[in-house]
Amino acid sequence: MSIRFPSLEFFRALQQRSKEDADAFEKLGVCDTTFGIRVGSDLYRIAFEVYECTEVDETTDASSLDFVLTAPVELWKEMFESVLANAGADAEHTINSLTHLGDVMKVEYEDPEGHDRLYRFMATIQEFLDEAQHLDVEMG
Amino acid sequence: MAYIGPKDFSQDHELIAEVMRVMSGDLDLSWMNDCPHPMAARPTQARRGLTLDDINDHPHYGPQAIPEIIRHNFSMAPRGSELPEGLPTLGYRVNRKSDVWADSATVLFEESKSRRWAPARNVPWDALDDAALSPEEDRAIRQLCTGLVSISLVSTDLPSRWVWLVNQEFHEIKYWMCAQMFDATRLAEAFRKRALYGQGALGRDSRELGELLKIVVESETYPLASAALNLTLFSFVQSLGRHFEFLSSNAADTYLGTRLVQDASRFVTYGIDHIRRFVDAHPAQAEMVNEHLDLVDNGLIGYLGSRELIEPLIVLSGSVEPVTAFYRQAAGEYFERCAAAGLGTRKGRSPVQGFLKLLES
Repeated sequence: MSIRFPSLEFFRALQQRSKEDADAFEKLGVCDTTFGIRVGSDLYRIAFEVYECTEVDETTDASSLDFVLTAPVELWKEMFESVLANAGADAEHTINSLTHLGDVMKVEYEDPEGHDRLYRFMATIQEFLDEAQHLDVEMG
Repeated sequence: MAYIGPKDFSQDHELIAEVMRVMSGDLDLSWMNDCPHPMAARPTQARRGLTLDDINDHPHYGPQAIPEIIRHNFSMAPRGSELPEGLPTLGYRVNRKSDVWADSATVLFEESKSRRWAPARNVPWDALDDAALSPEEDRAIRQLCTGLVSISLVSTDLPSRWVWLVNQEFHEIKYWMCAQMFDATRLAEAFRKRALYGQGALGRDSRELGELLKIVVESETYPLASAALNLTLFSFVQSLGRHFEFLSSNAADTYLGTRLVQDASRFVTYGIDHIRRFVDAHPAQAEMVNEHLDLVDNGLIGYLGSRELIEPLIVLSGSVEPVTAFYRQAAGEYFERCAAAGLGTRKGRSPVQGFLKLLES
């Protein structure tokens, strides 16, 4: 059954993938961060603890998040289409490539140490998003 | 020059008589009763395993027991052990907690091991065989790698210059400094391999980079050295890793850039936490740290402007503008970290600001 993007169900399916593909996440190492993914006006809260994604929900409050990856719906769709087409984001659509320069994808944060958690755990966060390759995604 | 102990144990009749009594079955076992502070250390999270924070959760063994100035133990005795009379001093010179301490060091140490990677096998090296790089781009990447090898090697040297001077009571910081040495060693290995892979060659080292690294490594005190290495140099190294990944066109360079970023970010996180604690404890010394970072920033300008760095960045980025944008972003984030570390607004005093304006003009 296909899962629509963007939706809470989509991110919960990624959470489930982090449990099913536990070896891949354990190999990347511990990851302790709670961050946000803002798709258009919708904000999803993603919590990682030890090796896996432990919580996913929708929120309106970004104040408790280490950082928020913010982009229009169309850009997120483009990124996940790259993940689906290439079995993982291609070089132009990694989180780092999209956030590094300019305003393609914004990283919002209040605390530089929270911001640096994006970089400490970037490989795990990228793997989390790349897990979409295993889902039947319907772009909404 | 060897240390000569005060006693010739091979001729110590008292010791030999003791040994003979033990060997004949007269065991004293008094050390078995010397256990006044038992604790029941267990992993708080099974999947994370038994961490330093788990075994520190005790008023006698944990870091809360460490006084600001260590006066009671200059020996090799582990913190919390019973200290018999006559332990020799090992000559530790860094004996003030606020000079080294950061609460995050335990987590960063565990994280460093958990997020380990092995350049020999984990980097998908064969992706470079099909990389669509022009000869100029190929040389430019190898040139960037040459600088990263130099930075990484000196980043192993700096903790090694201090770790043996740090009191054993701060063992978590010593563990962390050893982890930094290993992290930096792995980066030196990885980027040397990247430079030499296939039809490879190392590039040209940079006098300006050498000057920057000398300023960093010859910092006069540990807090100044930590600020220079962890806050300034590794803020830039983290940004360079992000730009390296941004410029990559193949899985090997993407992997290398991502790992450079994650490993460098641990240095940065310790640097913020450590300097904030240091400045909190010694507000009057914030200016001393800032003055030192003025010198380090000056050295950084030399490297940012050196042909050995800026030219390969321009070649790989396609023009000057992305490089100036990268420098601007790197500096902005560095200044934010300095502010978080309690150093105030360095943006207003750092010579990097004027350099960026010059580039942008």
